[in-house]
Amino acid sequence: MASMASLRTLSMTTAATAARRIVAPRTVSMALGTTSTQIQVQSQSQRRGMATEKQLANKIQSTKNIKKITSSMKMVAAARLKGEERRLAASIPFNQWTYEMFSEPKFLEEATFVDFPQKVLIVPFTSDKGLCGGINSFISRGVRNMIAKLDEQSKQADVCVIGEKGRGQMQRMLTGNQIKRTCTDVVAPGNYTMASALSTELIKAGAETDYDAVIMVYNSYKNAAVYNQMYKVITPLKTGGEESETGGSSNEALAGYDFDSEKAESMSDLYEFIISTNLYHSFMDGAAAEQSARMTAMEGASSNAGEMIDKLTLQYNRARQSRITTELIEIISGASALEKKK
Amino acid sequence: MTPPATNFWRIAGMSYLQYVNRAAGSVRSALKEPMKSKLSAQGEFSYKASAWVDGTQMSKTEITSLSQAGK
Repeated sequence: MASMASLRTLSMTTAATAARRIVAPRTVSMALGTTSTQIQVQSQSQRRGMATEKQLANKIQSTKNIKKITSSMKMVAAARLKGEERRLAASIPFNQWTYEMFSEPKFLEEATFVDFPQKVLIVPFTSDKGLCGGINSFISRGVRNMIAKLDEQSKQADVCVIGEKGRGQMQRMLTGNQIKRTCTDVVAPGNYTMASALSTELIKAGAETDYDAVIMVYNSYKNAAVYNQMYKVITPLKTGGEESETGGSSNEALAGYDFDSEKAESMSDLYEFIISTNLYHSFMDGAAAEQSARMTAMEGASSNAGEMIDKLTLQYNRARQSRITTELIEIISGASALEKKK
Repeated sequence: MTPPATNFWRIAGMSYLQYVNRAAGSVRSALKEPMKSKLSAQGEFSYKASAWVDGTQMSKTEITSLSQAGK
């Protein structure tokens, strides 16, 4: 009885409205008294087939909002990159003289590390924040490979991580007790006082006394689109009469000099200073690479969002067009049905 | 040849880096405005350090001065 009444009501409405109601399967099934399971199946198939106009409009709006955020982040990263470039340029002469005593930074990729001494302290420089591409993963993977190669050569390596992202990744990657110390949530931009404090952390971790070398692993900024993973080897300075184990850096460079104070003390001070200047440079290089990577990543994200908006807009227009066409067909068929009755 | 002398800052219990940064801070504080306030941020920093024992991270300590570092 209820279904008959519904159908009667339907016939009393205008042709267009009635036709629209007839097309909607849920309305028809309710009017004909179909079960709730059938209704559910029908509505699920409707959802699976094509998103509604409203859903598409919501998706387009949210993607537009995401695009706005990524574009802003790109602009912020570009502005910060300028500052980081300036700070990096200032840090290079601060550090470059140490290359005379040790060696220039080397590429991490495909390095064999055969020239490393027996026990080393690895210091990977990573960022505290994400959304900057793969810079942290490259460093973590590089350190993992380095440790694996050193293990093959029966050499020992411990790690002092700088940066929250590196801490998390190293914790997952390194199974042993290699991590000795972590320094996270470093407030940017860095300065030499911060580098001195981080150096003090390394020295307290035994960089001078317990290890034969400190290895700094960092991203080196080349330009806004290119950065490389590099490493530096810094070995403690030996005082007169001691033999260098590696034959690399030793006291030879300063052998001809007289010292006002104890030579051992001066060498220890010089080593502290060398670690801090290298750390300062590596940190600045890593910070510039982070901003450039973030800029590139956000540019990519904005462009992807734009593509997604275009696709969704196309879908939305198709759905809208199809609805209008259906409505027109319904009106025309309704009108022709009325004409036939007359 | 005169006997080697020990530096005064070492006698005071400072490390070389502490001495260098204290000296740099003194120079910055002797500057006139507006450079003084512009460069005051050069001596400020903050990070959280934590030691690891047997593969477990100990509690984080916020480090804001050089004398706190490495403890």
